[in-house]
Amino acid sequence: MSPHQFDIQLVAIIVAASCSIPGAFLVLRRMSMMTDAISHSILLGIILAFFLVKDLSSPILIIGAAASGVLAISLIEAVNRSRLVKKDASIGIVFPFLFSVAVILLSKYARNVHIDTHSVLLGEIAFAPFDRFILSGMDMGPKSAYVMGSILLLNLFFISFFYKELKVSTFDESFASSIGFRPRLIHYLLMAVVSFTCVGAFDAVGSILVIALIVIPPCCAYLLTDSLSRMIFLSVVFGISAAISGFWVANWLDVNIAGSMAFVCGVFFLVVFLLAPERGLFGIMREKRRQRMDFAEASLLVSLYNQEKGEAVKNHPDSRGMFQSTDFASKVVGFLKGKGEIAVTGGGLFLTEKGRERARMTLEGR
Amino acid sequence: MSGRGENPVAPAIRVTDLTVAYGDKTVLWDIDLEIPKGSMVAVVGPNGAGKTTLIKSIQGLLPRVAGVISIHGKSYEKQRKEVSYVPQRGSVDWDFPTSVVDTVKMGSYGDLGWIRRPGRKEHEKALGALEKVDMLEFAQRQISQLSGGQQQRVFLARALVQSASVYLLDEPFQGVDATTEKAIVTILKELVGGGKTVLAVHHDLNTVSEYYERIAILNVGLVASGRVEDVFNSENLMKAYGGKTSFFPERKAAKRAV
Repeated sequence: MSPHQFDIQLVAIIVAASCSIPGAFLVLRRMSMMTDAISHSILLGIILAFFLVKDLSSPILIIGAAASGVLAISLIEAVNRSRLVKKDASIGIVFPFLFSVAVILLSKYARNVHIDTHSVLLGEIAFAPFDRFILSGMDMGPKSAYVMGSILLLNLFFISFFYKELKVSTFDESFASSIGFRPRLIHYLLMAVVSFTCVGAFDAVGSILVIALIVIPPCCAYLLTDSLSRMIFLSVVFGISAAISGFWVANWLDVNIAGSMAFVCGVFFLVVFLLAPERGLFGIMREKRRQRMDFAEASLLVSLYNQEKGEAVKNHPDSRGMFQSTDFASKVVGFLKGKGEIAVTGGGLFLTEKGRERARMTLEGR
Repeated sequence: MSGRGENPVAPAIRVTDLTVAYGDKTVLWDIDLEIPKGSMVAVVGPNGAGKTTLIKSIQGLLPRVAGVISIHGKSYEKQRKEVSYVPQRGSVDWDFPTSVVDTVKMGSYGDLGWIRRPGRKEHEKALGALEKVDMLEFAQRQISQLSGGQQQRVFLARALVQSASVYLLDEPFQGVDATTEKAIVTILKELVGGGKTVLAVHHDLNTVSEYYERIAILNVGLVASGRVEDVFNSENLMKAYGGKTSFFPERKAAKRAV
């Protein structure tokens, strides 16, 4: 691994970790698509701030960007509160408008500045290591690692200081305000944090793929745990893994790094979505099958129990219209026999003591 | 014995001239209501009568067009800790990744204030409240695994942790099983017996006389409020519900007398 490759991965890891932290709350608050709005609107802030200071590396740009992210959210909510437009439509009205203003300004007045629309959308993390942080003649590593590192620290501080407030206002907003926390304030703080994160991440992965890093890792984590703190932790783990494996996939296929990081995020989700032990698609199907079998077994046992006057049920369960197919009926009979709950002698079905007990318990609703 | 910040003569809740509107639609109109300390009060009325709005407005959760609210004689802002709120069970996402005991612990967040985290003391308190609502064995359970009745008990436990003197409950019996309903009523009556005040949005007119001493009948405006035996009659219900109810308290009382 070359130092250049190391630097790219370092930046990618920091970006992914910073994105996953606020992402967990966005997903739980059903605000995932607000990321889309924020990540596009920040471009306007960056450009306006650039006109002000005429310096692309000024930290004022980050503040301008965060401010325009919060502005976008406030506008969306104002349009939404008017009740004249539905929520998703207000998102679709506000951010393309702000973004388009930014694009117009960019093409009219900043043609000679290095903010090109292509890298705004897709980012170019491969260039991140070229911009070095030089301290009294010493190379301290890529500059973006420091910028993004500060944003990561900010996110960590925010989450650990306001964990309880974020938790209660996400779970139950009206209760949170009834006990004196101010959910609106928390909401805007969170939006500001997301804006800062988008600004930092935008350089590396662009305004479209940053959504993947904010939304997908928390969604994977959500399917795997029942605890909020574990969900945040797992999101970070997923984010970082996607960053590293995305880098190597890109390296291997010789493609855009940001694109393959987002792609790996998607693959992670697909795997979790299918295989998560309890909430995955396969888990749910297995559970459904188990319930169906359970019910079929119980109904056969109960029907045998009810007819039990010392005599066997002569005919096959299927012919009594209990099961949808002969195959399924013989499967049920086979399972029950295997469990020792019925016995089959001379073509008739008999309850064993164990089966009788289960039938009794079923009837009592236990 | 009066708790922190209680004024022994003032009513537990006093609502004066309360008017609330959503957009151009008036939801509550000029409500004047006094809830005496230590009483158990039902808020009834048809759908859209403003019951939830009333409960929320008392706590300043909604912007009001006009009106003054006082709790034990002082403004709600000063008395926030005296009020405990149980929102409608359906108003939250029960798939939220958290456990029963952590949810109940949220009741102590108000006392903790900003930034401070709950510790051992808050944990014990939460377990105590869970025991009261007979949910101790579910403490570590994920909240999505609870039945409707269990969810309501968890919400009540969270309110108990707040150790307030006024309890505002929004439809505490909505979609709960009979055992839970009895258990909740018992706990609420205990609270009232201990001098607390309970105000609950209630739907089932059949159980009003059994559960509550006082009632406020609402339909945008306040139709009537007072002791159940004085104001819970078909005349007032007709005013509130129009022809939409077939419930007549007198008939039920007469049946009981026979």
